[in-house]
Amino acid sequence: MSGKLNLRNALTGYLFLLPTFVFLVWFMYYPVYQALIGAFTDWDGFNAPRYIGFDNFARLFSDEVLRQSTVNAVIWVVFAIILAVIPPYFVAELIYHLKRARAQYVYRTLFVLPIVIPGIVIILLWRFLYQGDGAINQLLELIGLGSLQQLWLSNPDIALYSIIFMGFPWISAFNLLIFYAGLQSISSEVIEAGKLEGATGWKRVWHIDIPLSLPQFRLILVLTLIGSLQNIIPPLVMTNGGPGYATYVPILYMYNVSTVNGEFGYGMAVTLIMFVAILLLTIVNMKLVRSDS
Amino acid sequence: MRSIRQIGFGQGVLLLLLLFNLLPIYFIISNSVKSPIEFAASTLTFPQVFQWGNYAAAWDKINLSLYNSTVIIGVSVIAIVALSSMSAYAFSKLRFPLQNTLFMAVFGLLLIPGFLTLIPLYLQIKKLGLTDNYLALILPYIAGGQAFTIFVLKTFFDQLPGEIFEAARIDGAGNVRIFGSVVLPLSIPICTTVAIMNITSLWNDYLLPSLLLNRTHQTVTMALVSFETSTGNYGLSDYGGMMAAYLIASVPLLLLFTFLMRNFVEGISSGSIKM
Repeated sequence: MSGKLNLRNALTGYLFLLPTFVFLVWFMYYPVYQALIGAFTDWDGFNAPRYIGFDNFARLFSDEVLRQSTVNAVIWVVFAIILAVIPPYFVAELIYHLKRARAQYVYRTLFVLPIVIPGIVIILLWRFLYQGDGAINQLLELIGLGSLQQLWLSNPDIALYSIIFMGFPWISAFNLLIFYAGLQSISSEVIEAGKLEGATGWKRVWHIDIPLSLPQFRLILVLTLIGSLQNIIPPLVMTNGGPGYATYVPILYMYNVSTVNGEFGYGMAVTLIMFVAILLLTIVNMKLVRSDS
Repeated sequence: MRSIRQIGFGQGVLLLLLLFNLLPIYFIISNSVKSPIEFAASTLTFPQVFQWGNYAAAWDKINLSLYNSTVIIGVSVIAIVALSSMSAYAFSKLRFPLQNTLFMAVFGLLLIPGFLTLIPLYLQIKKLGLTDNYLALILPYIAGGQAFTIFVLKTFFDQLPGEIFEAARIDGAGNVRIFGSVVLPLSIPICTTVAIMNITSLWNDYLLPSLLLNRTHQTVTMALVSFETSTGNYGLSDYGGMMAAYLIASVPLLLLFTFLMRNFVEGISSGSIKM
């Protein structure tokens, strides 16, 4: 009797899982498998892939465009981390030190408000602001700094930085809320004890708030590191990697190699390397976080 | 005395940063009602004559894509929540061989970045001949939403008190009954939350639609990127209409967030997200 019941239970379980797994096998596991296998083939996407061993990976090392893309990605990651940490933390501190709870709530809500604008609109807006006759150059003219006017997105020396530094004043709503939550969770005993030792104002920020916010700093660091390596929409939409290869990043290179050149095998090899790199970074970060706490 | 000045300084900086932070919203709104001539004169000034016609023009250009996005996301999110809640129930309340292995197989997908499957999906959809069909996005979206949604719902189901299920079983209800008339009614709030999270990310998606769909089936993000600003009026481009389109595209998220802003802010601020 109970054996029969178990069997029926098991069957129900599989039946409940079946629809999910139909979709996962079809549109997740199979594509992942194709990406892994495709990296070792010469494949135009239509004819049967031809196995060529590690040839694609050998080609990666002598690929000038990929080298430039990787350098760009590293520059991007460094600045992305600085921008993801410092402005939101600064604002979180300022809000946290407001005296009235009501004011804290109002500021917090208003700083989070811009998340209702779709990400693509922000990118398109900045593409527009950066135009030759766009608002940034208009503003520079207006305040008498006309000599600083630039072709922000078509000058190869500054195009990458224009993309990285869009979104002024760089106050990410998510990061701001994370830092704010961290500050709120500092116990009042610690703060009182600090006061007795003379830790008030900036001294307190330096000696109490920042050390106790380390878990939040680490979280933002990891998320930004992994996220910014996967950035493709800003360069794709704003410059498509140009001028020349000035704003290429590896994922965008993979995208264009595959969809424009039709070299799917080689594109998958770039994908695989990026995937392994990001996976390793994730694992190392998780290990570091575990061992600390 | 000194502390008062410090507070005043902090407030001042905060207010200034807030103004800069809200500047994009002001820029879109103020320029969305300018005529092409006024727009060409300056994008920084306050509009003189309000051109509400810009909104009608923008609506004409993007209403089809708004419809496309609504159909695609509506079908996808309903299917995501339906399939995920069944799987989450199985993982949480039923016992069967290979359960843990299967759960890890789903959970592991959270480590798979979108770019890994991008090109294979593109080839697959092309091969299936779906590029002029909403299914081109719906099928991958349903698959892509499963892992995260199952994970959230399973966590919720795990916390439901066991007595409810005992009682239902004693009353003779089978698993399908329990799922349909006990679990689902209890999980309407959590299902709404994960649905809104899925809607937000799908509404913002550009990469997959731009690869998989042709222009007659384009989504809102595709329509915004390829927004045609030519109008023929005085040979000037209709950037006002473009800004109006940006604003229209933000309205659905604005509505969702006004519903959810409090939950969202409290959820992150309560400190439950930590490492």
